[in-house]
Amino acid sequence: MKQKKLKTLKPTLREKERYVAFQVISEEGEEFNYSDLEAAIWNTMLDFLGEEGVSKTSVWLMKDCWDPKTQKGILRCNNKSVQEVIASLGLIDRLGDNRITFKILRLSGTIKSIREKL
Amino acid sequence: MNFYDFHVHSEFSEGESTIEEIANRAKLLGYKGICFTTYLDDKNKIKKTKEIVSKLSKQIGIEIFIGFEARNMSELDKLIRFRREYDVLLVKGSDLLLNRKAVETKEVDILTHPEYNRRDSGFNHVMAQLATENNVAIEINFREILNSSKNTRANIMHKIKTNVEICKKYKVPVIICSGSVTHWQLKDPKILISMGCLLGLELKEAKKTISEIPENIIKMIKERQDEKWIRPGVKVV
Repeated sequence: MKQKKLKTLKPTLREKERYVAFQVISEEGEEFNYSDLEAAIWNTMLDFLGEEGVSKTSVWLMKDCWDPKTQKGILRCNNKSVQEVIASLGLIDRLGDNRITFKILRLSGTIKSIREKL
Repeated sequence: MNFYDFHVHSEFSEGESTIEEIANRAKLLGYKGICFTTYLDDKNKIKKTKEIVSKLSKQIGIEIFIGFEARNMSELDKLIRFRREYDVLLVKGSDLLLNRKAVETKEVDILTHPEYNRRDSGFNHVMAQLATENNVAIEINFREILNSSKNTRANIMHKIKTNVEICKKYKVPVIICSGSVTHWQLKDPKILISMGCLLGLELKEAKKTISEIPENIIKMIKERQDEKWIRPGVKVV
């Protein structure tokens, strides 16, 4: 049986979103997959902001926007917690045994515009 | 907007990465200039650093400055004596007397992490007034936060927040630096701005800490290296 879809909220009641485009800079030849990166981001954010803090950010690493070749991806969060999310990215310096750093490419309010300019 | 990082250690001081690696990474992350910080140990090392820096600066297309970090009173006195020969004078915070001496000295540009290895924040309202008078910037060191975790990180962030609050009240210039010892610890300017916001600065103020305040220091460097300059506040007209 098909599950009933929730009625869409009014624009004024919806959460305002922000999209953060980033690039992972790593040692030459290293490629990371989505799940590795997702785990690293979640662990660091939970450590730094705590469970309650993360719940306020509505953070989500978008799976279809992660490109393992260019190592570029997009993070979604709400407009009130952009600084917390970006600062947390700065605290990730290792992914497994590899040293990494994040370059913030762009910040946008719509997924369309960030995809066009990436 | 031009971004600067004024506290970076290379292999010539306590760092691990070469000057070239760090300069390339800084360029990639979008910095306009960086300052390599060394200690007053060996004068031959300093000459070598200067040679490499002047070559690389043109090659990579990034402004590179040389700074000295004084670790104690005697080093600070020595460094003040030949102040015109290098660009930036930093004082390694932690000792209360040294912190006080740093904010009292006009030749000093930056007091780095005054709360380092201390139970208190190492900075108070009296020092804040002196820092404003003498135009000494107080540093927020990102490496301190990056290299700590759990309760240590929470304590460090609390002390920095206290210092930021005092600085805001007394209009002391605040500067955010990565304090990196490898090129992997060099962070994107937007990350430093965000951390500044989390530590109690407004977005505008946080942007100033890595653009306008370093630019003011660069202005002072150029003034100081001018032939007409004699000492702080005195020059030939």
